Amino acid sequence: MSDHKPPYLGFGLGLRPEHYDEILSGEPNVDWFEVISENYMIPGGKPLQILDQICERYPIVMHGVSLSIASTTPLDMDYLTGLKMLADRVDPKWISDHLCWTGVHGVNLHDLLPIPYTQEALDHVVERVSRVQDFLGRRLTLENVSSYVTFAESEMSEWDFVSEVARRADCWLLFDVNNVYVSACNHGFSTRDFLHGVPRDRIVQFHLAGHSHEGEHIVDTHDHPVCNEVWDFYRETVSHFGPVSTMIERDDNIPPLAEVIAELDIARKIAREVQAAKQVIAAE
Amino acid sequence: MTRLKDLQARFQAGIVSGDDAILTDINDNDREDRRTLFGVYRNAYVLRLAEILGRDYELTHAYLGDQAFSDLAQGYIAKHPSDKRNARWFGRYLPEFARKTAPFSEHKEVAELAALEKALADAFDAADAQPVTIEELAAIPPEDWANLVFSPHPTAKRLRFKTNAADIWMALKDEAAPPEAMLLPEPQMILVWRQDLTSRFRPLCPEEAMMWAEATKGVRFGVLCEMVATFAGEDGADLRAAAYLKNWLDTGSLACVSPDCPQSDLVMGTAH
Repeated sequence: MSDHKPPYLGFGLGLRPEHYDEILSGEPNVDWFEVISENYMIPGGKPLQILDQICERYPIVMHGVSLSIASTTPLDMDYLTGLKMLADRVDPKWISDHLCWTGVHGVNLHDLLPIPYTQEALDHVVERVSRVQDFLGRRLTLENVSSYVTFAESEMSEWDFVSEVARRADCWLLFDVNNVYVSACNHGFSTRDFLHGVPRDRIVQFHLAGHSHEGEHIVDTHDHPVCNEVWDFYRETVSHFGPVSTMIERDDNIPPLAEVIAELDIARKIAREVQAAKQVIAAE
Repeated sequence: MTRLKDLQARFQAGIVSGDDAILTDINDNDREDRRTLFGVYRNAYVLRLAEILGRDYELTHAYLGDQAFSDLAQGYIAKHPSDKRNARWFGRYLPEFARKTAPFSEHKEVAELAALEKALADAFDAADAQPVTIEELAAIPPEDWANLVFSPHPTAKRLRFKTNAADIWMALKDEAAPPEAMLLPEPQMILVWRQDLTSRFRPLCPEEAMMWAEATKGVRFGVLCEMVATFAGEDGADLRAAAYLKNWLDTGSLACVSPDCPQSDLVMGTAH
């Protein structure tokens, strides 16, 4: 496996079928695309043909939703074989999934389920990440998820758990800005503690997304524009980590491409402002 | 790993079966109790799976209306927890479930409509293959034609309908009022396939349906012509068989035409 950190790609979007025509018929101002791996782990047809065309024009990152790295069910080798086949076709800059589990006993709940932050879970996840990386022949990138419950048996903070997984399994991290914000609101921790608690040298990607307020908690729905509070935290995140490949996820109520690119331009503007401010400070 | 394994089993049972044992593992927070917090996962599970079914069976949903489709979806979710990583295949048993489960089983068109939607979705992302063209057939010496066998395009599948579900599908697709459901005098064979990246279907007349069924079992073209003659009369039998074959080629329904093609077509559907 390469020791090199994946390249900085700039500002990207999640590839969604609603935008296929606009992407292929124009030259949208998007530096790269993230594809949901499972959407293209199919035998053939239009989605794969479109994907091939987009791969010819843009750098691609693969993002899975069902690796289930923390599940206590044995690794699904059929799934991993399909993932590897897709990676051979796409040649992604990196492959990411979530630091979570999605089901046990042959059932898939199609949700990103929380882990108790225990030494036992840590050892389990580290061992599985190492095996998956060996099989894929490349490092994984793991994303922190939004969560709605905490476990009585947890022994450490989420950021300590995430950091230890990255250090011990030697994998990369996808820092989901919105997920940190959502979990911080739901569980009452400080976003700053999380931000300063994870290792800068492991972060290869940022996610930005919208969420929904339901009663006293926030749900990570990806069906709204990024809110002001998350933009503020993004500014703090960019300031802390420096330039990191950034993308916006939109999975429901998907607006026209131009609207999502306008949101992406906000991220670009914030990153430029942060960089300019740093240069001013450095010059003084 | 025992503690983690047990906790995940309790968590999953809490979502799928409504078992409350998991609540002892979860903290209250200062605003909401643990039942409310865990409820986020319980609610999301059913909503997400119902949304997947609604997307995959859009016209079945339109035909049944919100309440009846919700009943169908809830029953299906309870009976068939998802066993695949990819949500694409979660709803694959819905036509069969509708065929066997009251009150939907009393309305045979519901299962057939769902079977048609599933077949079209399956054709959409089935394996790629270059369809055989009429020019490729023309390049085969005429003296070899009697020995030709055919294999269907990997996207091509047959459905056998007892109702007018295909007409109902077409009306719903046009956002028109569907015709009243009715049993057909004779079962109707429907061929579903993908052409130019688009899923399509068409009904087959009984003679063409017979010839397609036999052709995809590996029966040679010479014998197929004899079967067509037996089916509806010797007059023009060869021409009729040739016309069906030309149509299969024009519509991209064949992946192989040669004396030694593999066969893979299966009858799908709900009305055997």
